[in-house]
Amino acid sequence: MSEQGNIALHTTNLHVGYKKGHQTQVLFEPLNIQLIQGELVCFMGSNGVGKTTLIKTLAGIYPPLGGSVTHQYPVAIVLTDKISGGLMTVRDLVTYGRYPHLNRWLTLQDQDHRLIDNALRLVHLQSIENKQLNQLSDGQLQMAMIAKALAQDTNMLLLDEPTAHLDLNNRVEIMNLLRTLAREEGKTILVATHELDLALQTADKIWLATQDQKIVEGMPEDLVLDGTFDRVFQLKGFDLKTGKIAHLPYRKIAVQLAGVGPEFLWTKNALERSGYEITSNASIKILVVIHQEGASFRIEAAGIQKEFSTLKELIAVLNNMEN
Amino acid sequence: MKKSSPSLVLLFLTTGLGVLFLTNISLGSVSIPIKEILRALFSDTGTASEILWQFRLPKALTCILAGSALATGGLLMQTLFRNPMAGPDVLGLTSGASLFVALLLMAGQYSGLAFIQGPWSVALAASLGGATVFILIIGIARYVQDNTALLIVGLMISAATSSVVSVLQFTSQANDLQTFMIWMLGSVGSTNWSEIIVLALIVVAGLAISMTMIKALNGMLLGESYAVSLGINIKQGRIIIVLITGMMVGAVTAFCGPIAFVGLAVPHLVRLILPTTNHKTLLPAVCLGGATLLLLCDILAQLPGSTQVLPLNAITSLIGAPIVIWMVIKAKRISV
Repeated sequence: MSEQGNIALHTTNLHVGYKKGHQTQVLFEPLNIQLIQGELVCFMGSNGVGKTTLIKTLAGIYPPLGGSVTHQYPVAIVLTDKISGGLMTVRDLVTYGRYPHLNRWLTLQDQDHRLIDNALRLVHLQSIENKQLNQLSDGQLQMAMIAKALAQDTNMLLLDEPTAHLDLNNRVEIMNLLRTLAREEGKTILVATHELDLALQTADKIWLATQDQKIVEGMPEDLVLDGTFDRVFQLKGFDLKTGKIAHLPYRKIAVQLAGVGPEFLWTKNALERSGYEITSNASIKILVVIHQEGASFRIEAAGIQKEFSTLKELIAVLNNMEN
Repeated sequence: MKKSSPSLVLLFLTTGLGVLFLTNISLGSVSIPIKEILRALFSDTGTASEILWQFRLPKALTCILAGSALATGGLLMQTLFRNPMAGPDVLGLTSGASLFVALLLMAGQYSGLAFIQGPWSVALAASLGGATVFILIIGIARYVQDNTALLIVGLMISAATSSVVSVLQFTSQANDLQTFMIWMLGSVGSTNWSEIIVLALIVVAGLAISMTMIKALNGMLLGESYAVSLGINIKQGRIIIVLITGMMVGAVTAFCGPIAFVGLAVPHLVRLILPTTNHKTLLPAVCLGGATLLLLCDILAQLPGSTQVLPLNAITSLIGAPIVIWMVIKAKRISV
């Protein structure tokens, strides 16, 4: 028991890498890292930095080149490896999760059926459990792979880019599911991901692989504020502290904006994206008005006083004023 | 595709096998009615009984053993290499066997294989050839971790041995060449009872061992990393599967010559009626399917003219190739 909680996994001077012929390629400095039970940790870093290799080493698939990995619990994994068997049904795939507990004839007990059903329910795939894998969408296939890992009924999950190639909706659903599993079932979860915004909003902790072969660990917000993210990713035009893409007020026109709520935020977004600078005092004033049936946008400037129901019209009028 | 029940398909295949077995032994240059066949099965007197026990039963049993061994070998190779084009011949086992048989039959006096003489010589040469390639492949498999790379090595060995065989064919005498060509055409009609017992022991052992490997076989479909994470010993599984495939295919090739197509096509035909990837049902179904198909091919080989028997390989390829092409076109793709 550490001061922070139960340690689910820790490494001691772990050397991660691979052997190529007689040469050994070590990817990180000796690692002494740990995962605390019930935490969702996002593992981030540039492409090719060695995230997959580290995950596979932590899962015991690759042998460490030195040092050791100590598990408190068995581990289930979701990888990016392509699988064969297009004729396999979703249920067959999830059944694989029970393999460590099955005899050589693969005889399923009641307990196995229950855990398979439960895993399918958690990822909302019960309705298509008899569909073949080659009929699934990318998102459904990824969910099925996660269900396979859940059916393994382990306290620890290691996932390698589970949201790659998925649309925003599926990405959010997967990250939410993982967060729920960590919170409600006390599972320890490590996710390698490129989804900066999702990671910042869901992770309890971030592991950040830096260019100098270290892994920096911390709360997402701390790493944002101390500039670690900026250093590692050398962000080009993405302002992490505001969470937005940085816009240049290229029109050199200032407007004053008043209003509340999401309507205010999206109006601000539209103005900034269109190149306007928003200041606290300007001759052009824009007011976001909230009615019963929605929002409207009022503009007050020299000689003009108009109200529009869409931002498109508002921006068009502003653009015209410039000419 | 509608889901067929595995037990129903297995029942269907078993019934088909029984019917074809009886049809097979009742057909030949002398037609024997089924009633007579059934009587002859349980007696050892009379012409019918003699024909049956001397010729028809050995041939039909050889069909069953060879068909199930080759088809199972094909399934094992397709799963191991995760490649729908894999088959027992792909590893170079059959071409290794062909090379040694060619050395024996066409260059016996120069090759040093002349010491193997007598009725078992061809079988022995084929086994030696298969085993040589097989040891070579296992050796290479220790260095090559990638299954696709291993597949390519197998193809290259096939190509190399085939070219040696064609040089031998080019330089050999007409008589020797004919003996070799007949062996190459594949035959299930030349086995005697002692050969069948050897074949049966090897094939039954191979099938039994493969049934104990269903967990590893299923695991291989997910790839090595997933399999390892599910507690499957993939390295050991690979070696055992290559071993039993080599054993079964080697034995069949030794006694029957290189029989084409069965190993590649039967697993796909079975998956067409039983769309599953679970080897618990696939293995018995493919085994039954292979036996059934080879019995059918043998029936077709002896039908036309009734006295002349067509080469088995011509039939297996002639039926098989169009079926596989039709299947690929219909399904638009083909998977393991």
